[in-house]
Amino acid sequence: MIQEQQPSNDQPSRQQWPLAVRLFASVVILIYLLAVAIPPLAGPPPASELASVILQPFRPLVGAFSLSHGYRFFAPNPGPGHSIRWTIQTARGNTLKGVIPDAKTDWPRLLYHRRFMIPEKIAALVPPPLAPAEIRREATRDWQPFAEDIATHLLVKHEGQEVTLELIEHYLPDTFELKEGRAGDDLTIPLGSYEWRERTSQ
Amino acid sequence: MKRNSDENKSCQESLSWFASWWRAWTIFWFTPSNPLLLGVLRILVGGLLAWSNFVWLLDQEGFFGLSSWQSAGNVWRLNDQPWHWSWYFPAQTVLATNSLTAVSLLAAISLSVGFITRPAACIALAGYVSAVNRAPLNTFGFDDVLGIMLVPLIIGAAGARLSVDSIFWKKQPVPNPETTIALRLIQVHLCVLYFFSGCGKLLGASWWEGTALWGAVANIQYRTIDLTFLAWHPLLINALTLGTLFWEVSYAALIWPRLTRPLVLAVAVFVHLGIGLTMGMMEFGIAMLIANMAFLPPHLNTFQTHQDSELATGQNS
Repeated sequence: MIQEQQPSNDQPSRQQWPLAVRLFASVVILIYLLAVAIPPLAGPPPASELASVILQPFRPLVGAFSLSHGYRFFAPNPGPGHSIRWTIQTARGNTLKGVIPDAKTDWPRLLYHRRFMIPEKIAALVPPPLAPAEIRREATRDWQPFAEDIATHLLVKHEGQEVTLELIEHYLPDTFELKEGRAGDDLTIPLGSYEWRERTSQ
Repeated sequence: MKRNSDENKSCQESLSWFASWWRAWTIFWFTPSNPLLLGVLRILVGGLLAWSNFVWLLDQEGFFGLSSWQSAGNVWRLNDQPWHWSWYFPAQTVLATNSLTAVSLLAAISLSVGFITRPAACIALAGYVSAVNRAPLNTFGFDDVLGIMLVPLIIGAAGARLSVDSIFWKKQPVPNPETTIALRLIQVHLCVLYFFSGCGKLLGASWWEGTALWGAVANIQYRTIDLTFLAWHPLLINALTLGTLFWEVSYAALIWPRLTRPLVLAVAVFVHLGIGLTMGMMEFGIAMLIANMAFLPPHLNTFQTHQDSELATGQNS
């Protein structure tokens, strides 16, 4: 493995570093590698308490270089897609409607994906409507600040008075349903109505 | 007497074992590398980062402004503060946020062309970290992969080849250990990424059942090419899903041996171009492929230039 990766020796090269420099560089490399490898061990759930404890001294480095990734792409299962449907009442009495993301207007595709992440990440915090009331009440504390921010953004952008947000979970048909031309209904979860107010928390 | 001799022998074996480790570690991290490959990576990563910054600019107010999708106050509370810093937190005007993103964009372009390369890489990294820490609601895998490559581009001699710097300074680029460290950091980080990505999938029943790929194909939010005809080919879905899973889980082991590396890289091209084309995440796919390029030979024989030939000739003579 190491032999295979050895760079070519057919060119003039800078002298090997002195032992002290190599030792120092080795320590720095090890610290960096730990800061890379520990965050995905420590989260997202399920994760051990030990990983969380080990992560503590690395938090400054992880934060400074933005290394706190879980790398759980399409895991544990690729689920249904989500979007947020909004309806705004303007001061003039008009009604505006839209969706986040909007495949027709959110272009280029990278902009679409950046906006697509908004409903996807909020959906991870919102329990299904049939979940026990206690769980839904607890979860509201997590997702409502995000919903308020989205509402404020839309109200400022469209000069609205009130906005209603709904999280849409798009039905994901299985192969049998698709072959038979069947499909279930999208799931709609209300995220509340919000009136325009001056933002105070910055 | 015999006991002392055994102890000495055991001690020597232990020392020899540690010496072997140190020798292997030193070869792995500090054998000088030709900076050509890192120069190619710099051009590609800088270009991709510039594109990312341009897209941030398209909805500057929504991502970093006072009435953004996610308020600075809520982000501050959500993040692990004070470590998740961002230069957008103190920026309180449209002019300030626009200027900071423009600085990030210019730094990324400068990095790509190799102009004042190392300072440009530092500013580009600061701009990247500021953006992802300020707008965590709008980031995804593409941003994670860009982050893998920026620190190594600061460490290695990324501007020594194929750069504006190399034209002005006219210094002869030589293989150096810092370039090796940079390439190794990208390689090892990539192994960590695939390992955890694969292990995360092992938690999901659909990956074991071989149906997970259908979940991506049938998701209209992602779809850019209609592959729903796969519904009539369930065994093909199984094979593609299980193949992807096995490849991700085994990447960290099979990428190193000479025999398996070309196969692993070939699958990477197939998987990431597939994701890019069919799920509309071309930037993510390209970023992953660029990161995988760190496993190409450092001297890139296939792209050998006249300058390389001269270097080699000089050494031989």
